[in-house]
Amino acid sequence: MKATKILERVLAALPIMLGVAITVFLFMRLTPGDPVDIMMGRGGAVSEGEIEKLRSEFNLDKPLYTQLGIYLKDAIHGNLGYSYIQKYPVTTLIIERLPATIELAIAALIISLVIAFPIGIASAVWQNSLLDRLSMAGSFLGISMPSFWFGIILILLFGVQLHILPVQGRIDFDAHLSIKTGFYIWDSIITGNHVALISTIKHLILPGITLGAAEAAVIARVIRSSMLEILRSDYIVLARSKGASEWRVILKHALRNALIPTVTIIGLQVGVLLGGNMIVETVFSWPGLGRMVVSAIFARDFPLVQGAVMVYAFTFVMANLIVDILYTYLNPKITF
Amino acid sequence: MFGIKKVSISFLIIAGIMLAACAPAATPAVVESPGAEAVVTEAPVVEEPATEAAPPSEPTTIIVALSSAPTTLDPADHRERNSETVIRNMFDGLVTRDNVSGVHNELAESFNWIDDLTLEINLRQGVKFHNGVEMTADDVVFTFERIINENAIEYPEAHTSPRKGLISPLESIEKTGDYTVVMHFSSAWPVAMQMLVHQQIIPMAYLQEVGTKGFLEKPIGTGPFKFVSAQPGLMEVVMEKFADYYGGAPDLTPVGPACVDTAIFRVMPEASTRVAALLAGEVDIIQNVPAELITTLEQVPGIQIKTTAGTSPEWMEMNVNQPPFDDVRVRQALNYAIDKQLLIDAIFNGKATPLAGPLSPANNYVNKALKPYEYDTKKALALLSEAGWTDSNGDGMLDKNGQTFSFTIDTEEYLRTMAEAVASQLRAIGIDASVRIWEYSVVKPLLLAGERQAFLGDWGDSAFDPVGHMEAKWHGRLESTSYGRGNFSGYNNERVNELIRLGETTIDPLERAKIYDEAQQIIYDEAPAIFLVLPDTVGAAAANVQNWEPAADGRFNLHDVCLGN
Repeated sequence: MKATKILERVLAALPIMLGVAITVFLFMRLTPGDPVDIMMGRGGAVSEGEIEKLRSEFNLDKPLYTQLGIYLKDAIHGNLGYSYIQKYPVTTLIIERLPATIELAIAALIISLVIAFPIGIASAVWQNSLLDRLSMAGSFLGISMPSFWFGIILILLFGVQLHILPVQGRIDFDAHLSIKTGFYIWDSIITGNHVALISTIKHLILPGITLGAAEAAVIARVIRSSMLEILRSDYIVLARSKGASEWRVILKHALRNALIPTVTIIGLQVGVLLGGNMIVETVFSWPGLGRMVVSAIFARDFPLVQGAVMVYAFTFVMANLIVDILYTYLNPKITF
Repeated sequence: MFGIKKVSISFLIIAGIMLAACAPAATPAVVESPGAEAVVTEAPVVEEPATEAAPPSEPTTIIVALSSAPTTLDPADHRERNSETVIRNMFDGLVTRDNVSGVHNELAESFNWIDDLTLEINLRQGVKFHNGVEMTADDVVFTFERIINENAIEYPEAHTSPRKGLISPLESIEKTGDYTVVMHFSSAWPVAMQMLVHQQIIPMAYLQEVGTKGFLEKPIGTGPFKFVSAQPGLMEVVMEKFADYYGGAPDLTPVGPACVDTAIFRVMPEASTRVAALLAGEVDIIQNVPAELITTLEQVPGIQIKTTAGTSPEWMEMNVNQPPFDDVRVRQALNYAIDKQLLIDAIFNGKATPLAGPLSPANNYVNKALKPYEYDTKKALALLSEAGWTDSNGDGMLDKNGQTFSFTIDTEEYLRTMAEAVASQLRAIGIDASVRIWEYSVVKPLLLAGERQAFLGDWGDSAFDPVGHMEAKWHGRLESTSYGRGNFSGYNNERVNELIRLGETTIDPLERAKIYDEAQQIIYDEAPAIFLVLPDTVGAAAANVQNWEPAADGRFNLHDVCLGN
């Protein structure tokens, strides 16, 4: 893909982002529930007019279109507003939380690929074998298993019973990691802190597996079905008849072509991994974006929800762009 | 054997978790109630030789698991309990509260009421902030002005402290000496001392130098622990012992620096994860143990479970302006129809107290003469039949003029079990009650508009005083004020309104008690709600945690806590 094309695609994302911003803005405002009222809680005194004062501070007393205008004007200047509850700029809050979410998503993706590829390929090659049936049953389980349940089972087994893995958080308190980027693996490598590196990896395993298992199940099924289709095609027969070794046929001729639908699904899953891990973050007390968004939605913290959803939308747009770029490498016949 | 036991415990935990997991994860903003300290049956003064027990050489770290994240470390910029929980370990106030709701001097040495509207406060001398600077009257004046003045907090945009409402009668504060300040109130304010507990003193010079943003990055107070670091979103706050601590309230032992060297608050929104972390030894104390896991945890050796009266009484309010609940006999009948003890045993594992009227049994002004409505279905049916509700067609359900007695109990997910239990007890006497689950912020406007029939909910009562509670819950609704802001029954009794307002400005405790006794008696008789229960607050800790008591609101005063071997 040419650089200009890529740029064009990035620019095309702008109207999408605007659309997302307006939609989320309206949906949040039209959802019943008043942020100020929630903030004042149930209990304790509220001074007369205090609620009105806060409402005007948050511009909630203005008509919807004025609020939207103010929001968009500020957003163009890079100001996504500040969190009603946490009283910090939304951009700061998101940037602080993003590394934790990305690190977990990467771990989950690696785990899911490591599981999905061998299973997907093997099930296609030995179709209808015991291995195929077991792994497809396993993947069915993986897709249907609620992640909060799976996460808690892992916690009880590896944390409480066996005591080999930590049950929550990102790092041990006594690892003394000095934070540079917020990506703990990277930070511990550049500061040469082995204790922190090991601690971070240990903390990543259980949430990574919980999040990765469902993804692995989806990806394995896609690999299997596209491999099955390709293994029956003429050029595979040709490759075999030319005397190419079976593994060469499978890995070089078949897998590469089976990768196109697989990459598409992985691209989508990356979006899901970054955006859909609220439950896993809650179960493992993972200090990421998902957990923050859940609290923000319940508190009707409008600016924070909007900011986070914009990040999610941007992630999906970019993941799709990267998938498109990868297509051109996987199959040079594809152009844009 | 132990292994098998643990496995079965794990499965019990899983079963509990299955139930808990269906509920929305941790209510986002654990809602503020001012005040809120433990109501422990124990005397406040507890001599514990724990300070000597810990060997001085070994640095000790205590980790506490909170159920929701504090929203800020700025004492003036929140209305949320867990923020106060963490803040009060780093910041002290003029006064503090013991475990039995008594108020004790902390940074204040003495109080002198010049008249009902003027309070002179003499400050303790020689108290150091964590940066070594001495606390003086300037800091106290600055702290309170930052709360009561409009737009006094400049970051991220100029705004007014959300804690202003907690000290709304405070009009101004002035410095009258290096260690003396005078507060001026707009009206007599009998709860002044209880409410001052919730304001912590901050250093003027430091805040002016670094600004609110700098202060949030490195907050400094006079408390037993000083700030070390925090994770994004305050998912973890690390603090260490402040060696120059003045010792805390002299009335409350132990006095002196904190016992542990490092204290960590870590957020674990999922209850089952908190329990698992405690079982795995990753944390020392956990907040909010779910009732369904209590018996399970009690069987685990080496875990301490402690309870104290909570601060969120539960009622089922009935819409008094609509049939069938516009008839007082119907409302009383429903009170008689509920077996509160059964609810307490079945839902709370026995860890709750029945309510005898509108105030929590832990409130300082609860009318002790009132007894909970007894469980008496005969009486209930008699009252209902007096009101015209009988089973005339023999279908087992009560009816009147051809209409079956049928209504919906609105509630929230976390009270679902309670609501379903109440509904089933009502069905047992022939009332067709069903349950509908709402998100609070969605149902609240409908309730205030009188569009619903019944709401099963709770309301914070943690200042142990009727103020902050009575006016919100049982006073007729007045738009944009505290009056009736949580009144979901539409109850509006002139005499009760008058008494509630009178109580707000009456100083004499005996006089106040009389006022509130009368108000409670009227509300009890008119029964705008089924008065249900006050659930206990339950915390759990590892065996080696010493001198720890859970607080009613889940607050942790780590100053006193020690770690043994």
